[in-house]
Amino acid sequence: MTATPTATAKQQPMQPVPALQAALAAEHTAVYGYGIAGALLTGGDRAAALADWRTHEQARDTLEAMIVKLGATPVAASPAYALPFTVNDARSARRLAAALEDGVTQAYLGLVAVSDTTLRTFGALAMQPPANRAAEWRGSTVAFPGMGALVPHGGLPAPHSPWAPHIPPAWHAGQLIRAGGPR
Amino acid sequence: MLAASTTTLPLFLALSACAGPNPLAGPPPLSSDVRGLFDAVTDEQNLIWIYKRTMASYSAVAPALGALLAEHEAHLAQLRAMIVEPPGKTIPSTVTRKPAVPGTAATAVAQLRAAEQSATTAQLRRLARAAAPLAQLYASIAASEATHVSALTALAARSPGR
Repeated sequence: MTATPTATAKQQPMQPVPALQAALAAEHTAVYGYGIAGALLTGGDRAAALADWRTHEQARDTLEAMIVKLGATPVAASPAYALPFTVNDARSARRLAAALEDGVTQAYLGLVAVSDTTLRTFGALAMQPPANRAAEWRGSTVAFPGMGALVPHGGLPAPHSPWAPHIPPAWHAGQLIRAGGPR
Repeated sequence: MLAASTTTLPLFLALSACAGPNPLAGPPPLSSDVRGLFDAVTDEQNLIWIYKRTMASYSAVAPALGALLAEHEAHLAQLRAMIVEPPGKTIPSTVTRKPAVPGTAATAVAQLRAAEQSATTAQLRRLARAAAPLAQLYASIAASEATHVSALTALAARSPGR
């Protein structure tokens, strides 16, 4: 699944807690997904999956602490998640790992839309490790990590301004893997 | 319509100040979003120039660099598409930094790696003042450039001239 522009340019700014919760949900998904992917991998790939799994556990704990600090209750992990495709061998496990990292990258991109500049920077920096891991698992880089596809255009030039930016809608985190039972 | 003269101009300006922008004051300053986009466009053009020169000088690394160059060209196209050009004007396409290509493939790739790292930092500096969707574009491009840093690190390790 790719990111979808679910709002218009006139929407309210992204709020910190929902954006953090979306990132936490993506980390929960990654922790679950690496459990499946790692079981199907061997050698260096298995070691990499284990390291990545631990990294996502740490990121999950960091996000939970941030959400608690803001006075909210962190979203809980689901008991199981529906995978986006059948995962039954090493090749599909590597593909799943890349998809998990894409989902996390996309979720952190949602944090970049909040107005708090500290959280923006946190989200932008947090995108880079999963984008790198996705490239490692995929074997290639992408032009717009976290965006899935090119940015939509939706803005209009401001009156009386010789140069104006197109302001597209903000991108929201979409869940790559839905909570629910495995397929 | 009022004719511009020493007697009518002050009245005209006073009325203009109440009614909207002053037509005699020249174009208004660029918004911070447009300035940020111009800077980002220039940075991408500079990176693309270095990639092309490096690829022309070292054919052995050109295939690997070609994929990264294509992503920078996608970044540039997307950044340019974010700017509304007024009639009769175009977005500047000037390359402002043209470093010499180093003497070995490995050092040339290392130069590209350093340029990618600088570009990532520059994108992050733009975040605070940008509209949210533009900040997201800068963040995504920064993440892309971070993956390029990793790819170039691996490429430098296996390039001639280490």
